[in-house]
Amino acid sequence: MSRSGSAPEYGWRPGLRVGVGLGLAVFPVAVSFGALSTTLGWPPLATIICSAVVFSAGGQLALLTTLTGGSGLLLALGAATLINLRFLPMGVSVAASLEGPAWKRALGAQTILDGSWAAAYQGGGRYDRLTMFGASAVQWPVWILGTVVGVVAAPAPELVESLGLDVVFPGFFLVLLLDSFRSTPRAPLIAGTAILLTGGLVLVAPTGVAVMLSSLAAFVVLIGRDRRDPGGPHVQESQ
Amino acid sequence: MTVWVAIAALAVINFMIKAAGPALLGDRPLPPLVSLVVHSLAPALLAGLLIVQVLGQGWREFDWTLLAGLSVIGVLWLLGRSQILCILAGVVVTVIIRALV
Repeated sequence: MSRSGSAPEYGWRPGLRVGVGLGLAVFPVAVSFGALSTTLGWPPLATIICSAVVFSAGGQLALLTTLTGGSGLLLALGAATLINLRFLPMGVSVAASLEGPAWKRALGAQTILDGSWAAAYQGGGRYDRLTMFGASAVQWPVWILGTVVGVVAAPAPELVESLGLDVVFPGFFLVLLLDSFRSTPRAPLIAGTAILLTGGLVLVAPTGVAVMLSSLAAFVVLIGRDRRDPGGPHVQESQ
Repeated sequence: MTVWVAIAALAVINFMIKAAGPALLGDRPLPPLVSLVVHSLAPALLAGLLIVQVLGQGWREFDWTLLAGLSVIGVLWLLGRSQILCILAGVVVTVIIRALV
């Protein structure tokens, strides 16, 4: 997936390649979840099953910390749901790129992860579902494996930072954001608005809520647009 | 028992959140204004994800060495380098800075 320097690549294979890079970044996070979960008293099997069926770092950590922190079931579920609500606008954005009947689209949408969704973005509002599937297909077993490793042997959390693995995800989002400047009308204005909005929101709201509400910045594209010709040539514009 | 109920409930909720858009919208053409906003979701959400990764909850995870690595990534992207090379260079620079300070 080298969109800035060469022709874009999409499909299963490029998706799998992206998935390997993202897998390297999510592995230590999964290890941390497994280790923390064991420390806080969750049964090992429940921890591993949680990673297999929920497959969301933010949501799982929110559930774990709120539940073991003494909150009730509903409060814990509420916190985890707020974190994962960001997948709602992501699902809306990929809706037209998924194929088949409703149940098949619903299943395909389960591969929406932050990194996979971002890797599948082709510009001009289009997403490549195979790239998304491939990237998530690698990350899922890595996520489970990392959880198992964390449950069995908890490594020091400083390891992630010392290896610089915490740069991978923001770095990945940054290059894709810069790529979107070439393919999406008013992208710099939208991104600037989202940065200000999210930067303020993380001071008062959970990060999942902040990401979800960052999607509101997309509405700035409507400012000054003629209602009679809302799309114009821009809607068809692509990379 | 509560743990198992919580995990099962969150799995179902997560499934529904992800499935809602694709299952309900399908490939129906959206009105032009809505389509324009949906097309603009990517830069908005990418910027949101980036900021959350850099700042963290309550800006508590802000680390200037990470910012230095991201700057390198941005400069290499402007020079037309590949995505992988940009990120790799960002990781290496961040690791070196952290080792020095």
